[in-house]
Amino acid sequence: MRRKIANIAMLILAFVIQISVFPFIPFLSAAPNFMIIMVFTFSFIYGTGEGMLYGVVAGLLMDLFYSLPLGYFTLFFVLMGYINGSLSRYFYEDFIFLPLIMCALNEFAYNIYIYLSRFFTREKFDLWAYIRQMILPEVIITLLFTLLLYRLLLQYNRSLEDMDIKRGRESAE
Amino acid sequence: MDAKKDRNILIAITAICMILIVITGLKHEWIAPLRSGVGLILMPLQNGVNVAGKAFYNSIEERNTLKQAYEENKALKRMLDELSLENTRLEEENFELQRLRSLYQLDMEYGDYEKIGARVIAKDSGRWFKVFRIDKGSNDGIKVDMNVIADGGLVGIVSDVGSNYSTVRSIIDDVSRVSAMSMRSGNNCIVAGDLLLYEQGILKLSDIDINADVKDGDKIVTSNISTKFLPGLLIGYAKDVTVDNSRLTKSGYLTPVASFDTLQEVLVITTMKETGE
Repeated sequence: MRRKIANIAMLILAFVIQISVFPFIPFLSAAPNFMIIMVFTFSFIYGTGEGMLYGVVAGLLMDLFYSLPLGYFTLFFVLMGYINGSLSRYFYEDFIFLPLIMCALNEFAYNIYIYLSRFFTREKFDLWAYIRQMILPEVIITLLFTLLLYRLLLQYNRSLEDMDIKRGRESAE
Repeated sequence: MDAKKDRNILIAITAICMILIVITGLKHEWIAPLRSGVGLILMPLQNGVNVAGKAFYNSIEERNTLKQAYEENKALKRMLDELSLENTRLEEENFELQRLRSLYQLDMEYGDYEKIGARVIAKDSGRWFKVFRIDKGSNDGIKVDMNVIADGGLVGIVSDVGSNYSTVRSIIDDVSRVSAMSMRSGNNCIVAGDLLLYEQGILKLSDIDINADVKDGDKIVTSNISTKFLPGLLIGYAKDVTVDNSRLTKSGYLTPVASFDTLQEVLVITTMKETGE
């Protein structure tokens, strides 16, 4: 329980950093997408239920920041949490290659979701140009940050789990 | 058993999201209180992180700027000579313009709009949406559809207002379309944001009549016929105007005056365009 609350708090903090620090660093032409990295990591470790929980939180944060219809990002992040969560049986702690590929796929899917719903529908058909200019840079930088953050998030959650166990509470299944 | 429960939750949330998207897509104002509430809570957090981040960045930046400043100084001195010459010429022209304006009873109300300064506190870190948040809201008298300027040029329009923040959609956002005109000839055109073009720092200039007199380098300002934008705000300069394939219209590009990537402070014009009243 404590772990979930701590993770949600961290998600909110990461979101704040994402919107109020990275955009003000002009030499960063692309910024990592923390929401993708964290929802993916948490759901991959803890399965569908928690995946959806963090998905809803991340989605709502995004929805409330942008002036788009409410639920637009939540829809994506909930699905993402669920799908990644259902793959959690392939989770091995020492294995970094699979998470990297999955994170790239998630990031790609996220961008394609925005492209299809917001740009393709307005007759901007040049998918390849959008992939090259918009999507690839973000996928690459997100991958780099996954490499850095995945282990950290994992260890942090392990220590939170230990704390929950010590307090005699039930940890996640 | 558990997997089934999760799947049901997923289906439920998905359904709720879809319904919400449809409802709030049509009735945008319904979620304003909720947005405002969350904004209110996140605001102090954003401000804190923002200040810390900027302080760090600015100290690095200062060192770089000093180096650039030396070189710039040299170049600027040279430019100053040229400009003072040009200034004299312009002043002359300005007198003439004033004479002509009073002659034609042209009242374009340049510059006498009321403005509030605001700090940019959050931006979209992704690349798809060009929106940002400022630290003034309805408490400071900001309303939806107010025009936002910086660096002497149009930046965007307020799209969403909370009690202590508001969201601004830049004119470089892909859905942005501003009705504009050439300052020299008064011919109308549309300035549209385009993500792919903006990667090269330019916007799209379109819907220029084939007979219209719009040339490269023309000052493009917001037009009188725009419903939301005040007339006469500088947007940028026309570039590469060519005749379209249809041979009915011309189009080209626009180099904006405002530098969108480095926005830190903006001015919100509290005078609003009144239409239809």
